[in-house]
Amino acid sequence: MSRFEAKKPSVCESDPLKSERVRATLPVLKGIVTSCYGPSGRLKHLHNNVGGHVCTTSQSSALLGRLSVTHPVLKILTTSMQNLVSCFSDCGLFMTILCCNLIENGQALDLAPTTVIESNKLLLRLCTTYLKSEVCGCRIPVDFSSTQILLCLVRSILTSKPACMLTRKEVDHISALVLRAFLLTIPEKAEDSIILGKSIIVPLKGQRVLDSTVLPGMLIEMPEVQLLRTSAITSSSALKVALFCVSLSGDVSDTGEGTLAVSYGVCLERAVLDQLLDLGRQLVRDHVGLVMCQKVIHPSLKQFLSRHHVIAIDRLGVALMEPLSKMTGSQPIGSLGSVSLSSYGSVKDLCSATFGSKHFFHLIPNEVTVSSLLLCSRSDAAWEELKLTCQTALHVLQLTVKDPFVFLGGGCTETHLAAYIRHKTLHEPGSVLKGDGCSQTELQLTAEAFCRALESLAGSLEHDGGEILTDRKYGHCWSAQSHSPAAVNWPDLLSRCGCGSLSSQEQLSWSCLKSSYHPSMPPACLPQEAAYSSSDLTLDCFTAKLNGLQVAVETANLILDLAYVIEDTN
Amino acid sequence: MAAAGSVKAALQVAEVLESIVSKCVGPGGQQVLCTKSTGEVLLSRDGGRLLQALHVEHPIARLVVECVSSHLKKTGDGAKTFIIMLCHLLRELDAPTDQKKDCLAAGNTQAHGQHWKNCCQWKCISRALVTFQAQILDSFMDQCLSRHFLSIFSSSTKEKILCRSSIELLLDAYFSGRVGKNNHTFISQLMCDYLFKCMACNDGIEDFFEMVDIYFVELNVGVAGFPVSDSRIVAGLVLHRDFSVYCPADGDIRTVTVSGTIPPPFSTSGSEFVLHSEAQFQASQFWIMEKTKTIMKYLQSQNVKLLLSSVKQPDLVIYYAELNGISVVEYLSSEEISLIQRITGLSPDVPPQSYSQHEIFNIALVRFCKPLILKSKRYVHLGLISTCLFIPHCLVLCGPVQGLVEQHENALHGAFKMLRQLFKDHDLSYMAQSGHPNSTSSPLIDKSKESDPLPEVGNNSMRRPCEGTVVKDKDGLKSVQTHLIAHSNWEMPSIELETASPCPTPKMTPRTTYQTDNTMKHLSQDNTRIIDYHEPLMESKLTANSTTENPKIEMSPKNVQVTRNTGKGSILPVSFKSRESYYYSSSLSAGCVLPVGGNFEILFHYYLLNYAKKCQQSEETAVSMILANALLGVPKILYKYKKGSYSFPQIYVRTLYALQTNRPIVSTQTGLESVAGKYQLLSSVLQCLTKILTIDLVINIKRQPQIVYDEDSEDEL
Repeated sequence: MSRFEAKKPSVCESDPLKSERVRATLPVLKGIVTSCYGPSGRLKHLHNNVGGHVCTTSQSSALLGRLSVTHPVLKILTTSMQNLVSCFSDCGLFMTILCCNLIENGQALDLAPTTVIESNKLLLRLCTTYLKSEVCGCRIPVDFSSTQILLCLVRSILTSKPACMLTRKEVDHISALVLRAFLLTIPEKAEDSIILGKSIIVPLKGQRVLDSTVLPGMLIEMPEVQLLRTSAITSSSALKVALFCVSLSGDVSDTGEGTLAVSYGVCLERAVLDQLLDLGRQLVRDHVGLVMCQKVIHPSLKQFLSRHHVIAIDRLGVALMEPLSKMTGSQPIGSLGSVSLSSYGSVKDLCSATFGSKHFFHLIPNEVTVSSLLLCSRSDAAWEELKLTCQTALHVLQLTVKDPFVFLGGGCTETHLAAYIRHKTLHEPGSVLKGDGCSQTELQLTAEAFCRALESLAGSLEHDGGEILTDRKYGHCWSAQSHSPAAVNWPDLLSRCGCGSLSSQEQLSWSCLKSSYHPSMPPACLPQEAAYSSSDLTLDCFTAKLNGLQVAVETANLILDLAYVIEDTN
Repeated sequence: MAAAGSVKAALQVAEVLESIVSKCVGPGGQQVLCTKSTGEVLLSRDGGRLLQALHVEHPIARLVVECVSSHLKKTGDGAKTFIIMLCHLLRELDAPTDQKKDCLAAGNTQAHGQHWKNCCQWKCISRALVTFQAQILDSFMDQCLSRHFLSIFSSSTKEKILCRSSIELLLDAYFSGRVGKNNHTFISQLMCDYLFKCMACNDGIEDFFEMVDIYFVELNVGVAGFPVSDSRIVAGLVLHRDFSVYCPADGDIRTVTVSGTIPPPFSTSGSEFVLHSEAQFQASQFWIMEKTKTIMKYLQSQNVKLLLSSVKQPDLVIYYAELNGISVVEYLSSEEISLIQRITGLSPDVPPQSYSQHEIFNIALVRFCKPLILKSKRYVHLGLISTCLFIPHCLVLCGPVQGLVEQHENALHGAFKMLRQLFKDHDLSYMAQSGHPNSTSSPLIDKSKESDPLPEVGNNSMRRPCEGTVVKDKDGLKSVQTHLIAHSNWEMPSIELETASPCPTPKMTPRTTYQTDNTMKHLSQDNTRIIDYHEPLMESKLTANSTTENPKIEMSPKNVQVTRNTGKGSILPVSFKSRESYYYSSSLSAGCVLPVGGNFEILFHYYLLNYAKKCQQSEETAVSMILANALLGVPKILYKYKKGSYSFPQIYVRTLYALQTNRPIVSTQTGLESVAGKYQLLSSVLQCLTKILTIDLVINIKRQPQIVYDEDSEDEL
């Protein structure tokens, strides 16, 4: 019998944004994410006081996934970020900070929330059309004939995660490896639709970061004994592969719903084992050189196979099955009976490899679409962070292949966009306004708040009390050292802009981000040569950032639109 | 523990609910965030969902929530309006309590205590409400309001062809009350596109909406993490599963659907399988394998490329499927299977035991079949070839958080429910009483003949002489008054003036806000005044007279005065015993709509006022007055934040003026709403109110109510 329990009435809170709880906690959350942002961001150390795993990170997914937020409004914000990161891997902090800024600025405005939401929507549309258009001055097309842009992109991602604890040299090494691992997953034969392969990250802790390497094909970890036993049989030639998804353990499989009466002396296990050995004989007859099984292989069968110089690898797990079957071209076999010849695949070579204290089988396929990235790091915490970063970088590279553009990083996209919005709303408000949702003045007020949110996002990159500037021609973001003398010669004090494409010697004029400066001209497009000349650009993923911007505005609008919070306390 | 069930308590409850709901109503409404202790977060502006999430404890509130949810089950719309209307009705009932008491339950109040006295009186009102809802509501819909209805079908042709622009207006209005203002235009556009993509032709619209309503869950996929603007429509059906085996194939793909495992089971339930030797075991296993092989071979020979299964198939089947180039999808839900069967027109499954015999597979054609990847989750995308009215399309709904995706999903589902309701014909049946201005034969007159010295005339023509008397006997005011008192139950001279003669209104339009405010004040007060003016009969009679003398007087204040008159008239305890009535049956035809923005409420209000003036029975008048005033509550909230000529008084006066002069009503808002929904809402609210009013005591019990019922029935036995 089910137990009835009286339901407690829910707690209903009106105007949640004005409540004390949110007023107190939202700035705290904002402080946490803002201080993590960028290459010079501060790390956060997460632990619980009963011991166990600790985590040092500055990445949004690792950080906010472990934090438990209490207020529902904050929960919306953090889940929104987590969902974004699960789709695009990158730009989680960007989205969270922007969203916090927008909420804060939107509330400070003395306008009805409806108006703020309406014009935020208009401004977002303005941004997305600009960023997707040809004239956009803060994105550059990716040139796939050279690796320079892609390398810069990966390097930017690695440097923006300081918890990986990488030196400059290590960053260069790892970014080259990540790019290589990615390039190995692209099939050589180009068809109309390309299906990318997979990069598998293999952990190798306790080694130097510079010992990390990338290998074509797949690495399967093995105990040393087995490796030694099988190394005798390995021949350096192509091998026929049989891949089993069905268990070869010799258990009696499903016998239906009815009862089974077995006469005395009849042993079903023996019957199944006989069947297995028959299968083994067939495999040997078919000249299979390598038998792999997702589940367990019966020791007798294993012994039988190794007697016939067939290598048997079991307990692969379901995760490896798909890349293995793709790589070898074999079909997972689900039958203990006769095996069709067409389900065998092949590998070009099989060798044993030893990295550090670990031993691996290295499967080298005929056509490489699977690569293994061996990642080394001294400490566990740094390895976790590095692994997450490499996964992000690989995903970002995939997204970049789909949408061959990159945004200028280092805050330049944000300040450039803000300058563009300012110009548009001041000089051509008619083109922005649609419908009678809000008036021109209201639009300008909210646009100012929107731009401030973007600019303070760019300003969050600076953590050492420096000054953030923007130039009046391109609208890029520049950072100056703190305690600069009052009357300064900016070109001498500044060196390069945030993304690294502009140098301070180019006859530019600057203004402080905090000062209100209203451009009369739309920000100029970056000269083509400037984008490609520098080998040290800071770049951001196009797809992730564009979606991050949209999600941030949508989430902020959602939160600004809340009238009540109903909390079910049951 | 027992608490008196009173209107006061109910009003308090309703006001609390109203304060929550009124912030979310209409295009300017805001969102509500509901959280559960499990960490689930849901955004909503759906009234029903909010009320459920509140877990209200108060018994009357629980009653209200129950009523709302049963209403929603029928229509899927109108929960917020329900609460607002109910609250205003209760307010109207509560306000003039003291006066009402005297008039409505004057006879039987002496012996009981105050509370019971109240209860009797509420009982009275609730009875009147029931009669109103059962008899008069339908006639109103049919006779008065129907001429204002617009149709969702385009009017140019005789056939019922859906007009895209009006559907757009309808959906726009619906979603502006359901999803955040951030997204409502986008969502309504999406839904509109979806509708017209899926609809094969205009016949059988009802079946179409029924199908979408039932299978809505299968027809959409939610993806969290993308911006809302990434939501889209994909042609074909998206199954919420991944391929177990995927073999790419071109051209039309032949498909079979199975509901059991393909190989024969080793042993079936209820039977015993006796094994004598190991060889026997191996042989039977071999036989199963061979059987599976031949079935799969057979499927391949039939050129079948896709196998849809509602259960998990053994590894064996998967292996042979791949060998034979057959893609496999497993674990399909029964809804998905039945949707596929309905779309493709396949007959239902054959029992799984008979798979081993061939020729029993039903083969359907699929245009394409490929994996669809959304946020690293893989789905099966099928291009079914439809044999019915529904051309399969799927909605991919995106949003930054799952809660928002769910909100959009629910809103879309609600919209389909609403449309399904809209395209149904609703029967209206009512009893028209002779008191109606339209009915000609009237036994009433015979009655009045006895009680009155007036000449015997038809009901319609009777007014004029009566009116004439008023005008003529200016000096002999007294005698007129007696006439009026005698007749006030079914007609007042001034009504004729207001409804039929357009002359007294020309000064109306250019009035400033000052004037309209004035009107409003009168209107809100008149209810309380109805009885106040009982005594100075003389005075108000005079105003009535003055109107007949001088029809060019301003319209709106007079309107109020007339109202007051009727109210007074109704109090007089004159009753007619035998009354003949006529049963009419008509229907609210499919696709009737009205412009949004409280138009329905104001129209209804207007006709109710007219009706109240003509009522014979005191209760009816009282009820119609209460209802008429309560109806205005909805537009009042809708226009709360509007200023200038869009403010509520302005719109109210404009609409009334248009009605009086028989001009078309100009709506300030674009957007349409279903009349059927409104009609059902009104009757549901009245039912709920009746329920509340008839309760006199709330008793708290410890046991489940069900047990109590059982005991009751035993007692009766």
